[in-house]
Amino acid sequence: MTDFGAIDALLAGAAKEVPLPSAEERRTLREELNLSRPRLAEVLGVSPSTVAGWESGRDPSGEVREKYAYFLAGARTKLAAETAETAELAEPAEPLTAHIDPATPTAPADPTAPGTTEDPDDVGHLAAPEPCVLCGQPAHHQVAGFPQHLDPAECETAVPRETAEPTAPAAPTPARREPEPSRVDRPARPGRPPRGVPVVPAGRRLKTTDTPDLIGSAVAAALAEHSGDVEAATKALVKRAIPDAMALLDHSRKGGRYDVIAHPWLPDVLRKQSARGADQIWEARPKWARPELPPGEHEVTALDVNGAYLSALKTHLPLGQLEHSTGDHHDRRRAGVHLITPPEWEHDAYLPNPIGSRDEPGPLWVTEPTLRLLLRVSGPAYGLCDPPEIHESWTSGATEGLLEKFRVALKDARDRAIAEDDEVTLDYVKAMYAKFVSTLGESNYNRELYRADWMHLIRAQAFANLWWKAHRAYDQGLMVVRAMGTDEFHVVGDWRAVFDEGRGVTEVKVKDVYSVGAPHPAD
Amino acid sequence: MPERNIEFGKFGARGIRGHEAVARQLDALAGFVTTPVTQRRGLLARLHYLTRSGHARQAARAAGLTVTDRTLKAWLDGRRGPSRKNLELIEKTYRIVRRHNVARYLLARLNREGRGTRVEFHPLNQSQVDRPHHRAVAYRSLNVRHWDRIIEAWAADDATALDDAWITDAVVDLGSEWGQYEYVTTIGFAA
Repeated sequence: MTDFGAIDALLAGAAKEVPLPSAEERRTLREELNLSRPRLAEVLGVSPSTVAGWESGRDPSGEVREKYAYFLAGARTKLAAETAETAELAEPAEPLTAHIDPATPTAPADPTAPGTTEDPDDVGHLAAPEPCVLCGQPAHHQVAGFPQHLDPAECETAVPRETAEPTAPAAPTPARREPEPSRVDRPARPGRPPRGVPVVPAGRRLKTTDTPDLIGSAVAAALAEHSGDVEAATKALVKRAIPDAMALLDHSRKGGRYDVIAHPWLPDVLRKQSARGADQIWEARPKWARPELPPGEHEVTALDVNGAYLSALKTHLPLGQLEHSTGDHHDRRRAGVHLITPPEWEHDAYLPNPIGSRDEPGPLWVTEPTLRLLLRVSGPAYGLCDPPEIHESWTSGATEGLLEKFRVALKDARDRAIAEDDEVTLDYVKAMYAKFVSTLGESNYNRELYRADWMHLIRAQAFANLWWKAHRAYDQGLMVVRAMGTDEFHVVGDWRAVFDEGRGVTEVKVKDVYSVGAPHPAD
Repeated sequence: MPERNIEFGKFGARGIRGHEAVARQLDALAGFVTTPVTQRRGLLARLHYLTRSGHARQAARAAGLTVTDRTLKAWLDGRRGPSRKNLELIEKTYRIVRRHNVARYLLARLNREGRGTRVEFHPLNQSQVDRPHHRAVAYRSLNVRHWDRIIEAWAADDATALDDAWITDAVVDLGSEWGQYEYVTTIGFAA
């Protein structure tokens, strides 16, 4: 009883798999579009590491392969159109229409991919004139959804674009750097859409938020004061970074549930023993190097975590005065410092000790992030060591949201500065969070806040975050070679499949690439 | 003032008088020589501060350092060391002179041209008090605008005047329950 119909259906279904471009090209296509791996993975319904795998040689199959092919073909078409635009900018004598033909030879679209629709509608006529994304004058045509002039004579792109910031009207133009000619090969983003108006619900209606952009206005004012001298403005801004950070912190706590308590009573363990001495807290700064490598030559990549202290501002911070307690018990709603006996660490050959490189044995005072890290890796999910033994604690009710608005404001300003290539804001933001963290304790440069406990907790959180990065590399099959300082770890292997490269706080940047070990003796 | 505590600590509450906490914080802000006077380094630092100029010598004399210039020179050269009584005198004089010198600048920073300084009141410690006697005493903060009398009393090292100035210029503004903050764990402010 053979069902020939079913066989026919099977044969029809088993069509040849959609061909995909090479692995490097897949990656290039995604990066050219400024799309992050997690973003693409979310849309395709797979995990970011799967996408990373596809971009390093593996091939998807089945339905998701078709989706991926569709994305790649679409990306290629879009890039071809954008390259045509930039080419048109470079040589304005040529007519634009010749380039925006989707069948450009520069990007042979895959005919089997379902994404290559031959749409001549890329160029459309606008009923109402809209401002051209290139020159700002009213234009009657749009290309790929962006209104612009088709005739370069109409478009006055030759004059430098003076896009005044809506929030920083006083900013003179030198702050906005024109894209360097060396970066022309990357498709310039055709016109940034204007920043949205932030709104909040007010009663039954909406109203615009009356949150002044403190960072933006400070940068604009400094630039105006120094008449556009970037270096002088940066210097002036960095100089006033600490009071500005405190003002931003005050501002971010407006309407908050908890007060920032700046001068609490601190226990003796948090007090400096002498003027130049340290207190008794162990921050668990990693300083670890793998004892030995497998034979052969290895290419080591030194990776750097971006904005480590900025990310570490999100940690469980004790709110009020620290209270003493004894006994081996950890309350997740409280945070502070704990006297613990750390567990034995048997994985020193391939993973750093979460407690850092501690020379002396015995109990030590650690902070909340270190304790939470130890509790987590000793838990059933990881089981890397025994749980630490807590002897006594100085804790207070804690929240993770205390510095959250402050952190987000700084992070947004940083992201914006990176996107706009605005070095002044970037340096200013960096000085703000770095100096905020370093003067949080008993510093004479910042007397507004005497929270030695917070300083230790934030630093320890940065180190814990670094440990997790190292663990992730190890977990994904890379060889972790070093973990040191606040934000640096060295790996061997294809780290691009694990971490995203870039300047965002979730990404890593390459500090150095070096090779270690002797090559195999030639036979 | 009826809100003043009569028998503080009867049920086990612990804390210090508000004005003592303020004096401590002001001392911390003024910044004294940290090396003790019993060490040669600390002694020399204090003596140099007190004999830096004619004006400084005069201030030291006015503050009670009634030794001859000959003795001072001998101390500075190390030919002789001060007796224990004189060591105490040097320490006391040094603190008075230093406070007096710093007061002007501290006052300007605390008043901030009328904007004042935010002060934190950390309530007394009730951990040793029986449950039925516990009272809800919360952390409070307050902007203090007039520091003149407080600083004046602190510079003069006058505990009674400082207590009076602190209560009438700052603590009373906490409201009708200000008596709960007559004794505190610490008082925090920046300058």
